[in-house]
Amino acid sequence: MLRYVLVMLLLFGHSASAHEMVPTYPKLEPAYVEGLYKTTMTMFNKRPEVEYYEIGVFTSDWKPIPFVSNYKVYKVPYLSTVSFDIYVRSEDRYDVTYICSVSKLRQSSRTRTAVSSKICSKVKRLGE
Amino acid sequence: MFNLKTGTVAALLVLSAGAGYAQDTPINGTVQSRCIIQTDQPGIYGNPNAYTLSTTNSDGGSPPVIRVDVTLAAAYYVDITAPSEFSSSPSLPDVVTWAGDTSVKTMSDSTTMGGYETGKLETGYTDRYDLTATGSTWFQTTSTATMGGSKAFPGGNYTALVEAACIAK
Repeated sequence: MLRYVLVMLLLFGHSASAHEMVPTYPKLEPAYVEGLYKTTMTMFNKRPEVEYYEIGVFTSDWKPIPFVSNYKVYKVPYLSTVSFDIYVRSEDRYDVTYICSVSKLRQSSRTRTAVSSKICSKVKRLGE
Repeated sequence: MFNLKTGTVAALLVLSAGAGYAQDTPINGTVQSRCIIQTDQPGIYGNPNAYTLSTTNSDGGSPPVIRVDVTLAAAYYVDITAPSEFSSSPSLPDVVTWAGDTSVKTMSDSTTMGGYETGKLETGYTDRYDLTATGSTWFQTTSTATMGGSKAFPGGNYTALVEAACIAK
């Protein structure tokens, strides 16, 4: 039976690895460019097997909202912090609800992980 | 006389330096509310028979354990989704049937978090937990893949993904 390979879901058992993003409740503020609103997010990567995180902006129904940032997939080296600005159109600002970061896993990596982590912050409105 | 003056000044300087003025040196820090997803334990598929891969301990596997830390009560929910496909595998001879479930393995405060498991919402392979208290919760996900027609899984590497999402409320 051993000739059938017993294979791993996760290969990083020796240490905890973490993904976090702040703030939990970002605020959209007018940008220096007319017609745009912006907010700044910060990611911290303590997952040695993950180097890249993709960001996304969504409505309350999880429909994607167009946004501009330096990159859509950020390289966040292990144990480092990356801050980034997100710009959305003024007409979309009331629809923006979630700003998420998702770990990007390398299929070719020797050390594949089996946990995809996603953290979503929520843009709160007055009264929420 | 000159030597006496110089010596006195030097002594005063030494004394004043040695006395050392007490000063408060602040260490500043801000704790932002956040949710942290951690991979605490690897998941391993055991192979109890030719046509089954399972993370259950009795099948020779090991379920993955995900720890979620929150620093703000009632601000997040967490969705944990068991695998429903392989993200990488050899070519398969038949359709694979999946089963999976997530449960709370342990928690940092059983008084405030004791209701997490009974209060979870299950939708398909996804279990949603309302994180109503601050602290750490460890979640365990079991996964079983069964090859159709009792055909054998071909030899090779199999990887499946557990998705953990922490979403602000």
